[in-house]
Amino acid sequence: MKQWLSLALGIMTATGGFLDAATIASAAQAGAQFGFGLIWAVLLATGALILLVEMAGRFTAVSEKTYADAIREHFGFKLYLIPLSAEIIAESLLLTAELGGIAIAISLFTGINWHFLFPVAALLVWLLVWRAPFSFIENAPATLGLLTIFFLVGIGLLGGPPHALWPTLWHPDIPQGQMATYLYLVAATLGATISPYLLFFYSSGAREEHWTWRSLALNRATAFIGMGFGCLGSIALVVLGGIVLRPLNITAGTLGEVGLAMARPMGIFGSLIFATVLFSTCLGAALEVVLAISYNIAQGFGWEWSEDKKPVEAARFNVTLTVFLLIALGIGLLGMDPLQIALLASTVIALFLPFSLAPFLIIMNDRTYLGTKTNGRFANIAMIFVLMLAFVVAIVSIPLLILSGGG
Amino acid sequence: MPEAIRWLYAMRDIMDAQLVTSDGVRIGRVADIEAEWRDDGTLVLTQIVTGPQALAGRVSEHLRPIARFLLRDRFEHTIPLDEVEQFGPTLRLKGKAEDYTVGQSDRWIAQHILRWIPGSES
Repeated sequence: MKQWLSLALGIMTATGGFLDAATIASAAQAGAQFGFGLIWAVLLATGALILLVEMAGRFTAVSEKTYADAIREHFGFKLYLIPLSAEIIAESLLLTAELGGIAIAISLFTGINWHFLFPVAALLVWLLVWRAPFSFIENAPATLGLLTIFFLVGIGLLGGPPHALWPTLWHPDIPQGQMATYLYLVAATLGATISPYLLFFYSSGAREEHWTWRSLALNRATAFIGMGFGCLGSIALVVLGGIVLRPLNITAGTLGEVGLAMARPMGIFGSLIFATVLFSTCLGAALEVVLAISYNIAQGFGWEWSEDKKPVEAARFNVTLTVFLLIALGIGLLGMDPLQIALLASTVIALFLPFSLAPFLIIMNDRTYLGTKTNGRFANIAMIFVLMLAFVVAIVSIPLLILSGGG
Repeated sequence: MPEAIRWLYAMRDIMDAQLVTSDGVRIGRVADIEAEWRDDGTLVLTQIVTGPQALAGRVSEHLRPIARFLLRDRFEHTIPLDEVEQFGPTLRLKGKAEDYTVGQSDRWIAQHILRWIPGSES
């Protein structure tokens, strides 16, 4: 029974990995500019993610080793440095963006300027990773993230999408000269959703939960339900953006405009819900990102690690957590807008995506770790397809970013 | 579960493996392996090497003297290979965590830095 309560791991991974400041804004923008025309990209990204998450969970459940363990052990220290360097740069930037999102959410409640709240956000995240056990870290943001359901309520309250919007689902309405922006948002959706940190976190979480080969069914359920939940939330935001923002010709460039989308169906209550959802998803994301990079380093170097251990029992791991929060604090104090930082981080992630995902293809076929549970033919073919997708995203993201003028 | 190992390969079963002590503590990873020419002409693997200088050497031989100059061998440690009870992606060691100098950074940081921060010990 307790094992099934850890479906929360999947939902939390989704809440932190799928829905955060960047994806909330880009989903609303996608809806605002192209109606339903980008939903297929969300579905494609979800499919890829379910595949990757299931593999990460299966690998860790059977071998009792994490993804980072496997990269170091299988490829050696030198090659391990490649995904590690990419993760360090990307996660430092992303962590800064998520802390910014938390600060903005708190400022929506209190009215205090978010720049002053930034250190508060950093301190909150630090307190949680310092003291809270893994189960709390897993459950708290996941529970709050369930509020995403209110997006669906909002759609209902608005009477559902107008008839004119439905055809854009299979026949996107791309105005003249907007093709580069459309393709950029496709790449951004794919790159932002398929984030390697999510896999490092999920794999480590499976160890924190002491999954074994008996947990394979649970892993599969968690992958589908968790990522499915995130997908639903993203799609709901695209739809809301299409219903509310598109007729008004507002492109959701800032979080404030997304808040508008929420506020219309439910007034002040809607704005409060939005602020809470923003808070919980950014908090979940911040926890996931800082833990993912610290897990990666601790596991890659063979240190003690776990959120269920006291800080003195996993000293270097906890120092790493603290250092990354300080780095994010430093970047944040430079004052850049969190959405711009998130964009930068997503671009770095997209560029290195093939290198971060390629190890999977090899270790998922390694019998030393997986015994009889290695990939079947379907999983390998699907994985190759995902890798090709990752290569395409990596190659086109910078040219499209330039051509579309920043999306 | 991994099969019993019949043939030992240095890269597969020793290099980069996780070092775990008999009391279940992770103390580090294998960075390099020391070997010795014996008088009878055989080459024998003698010690496991851990530490940033050894890791720097793995990336490039040119980095080794630079790392040595900066770190002065202070973080390099060795463990004799006969301390290893079980080979594979994880090396199980015969002794307890306090028997080895590897991983002493964790203890040092815990004693000298972390204990000043509230909540580190409970």
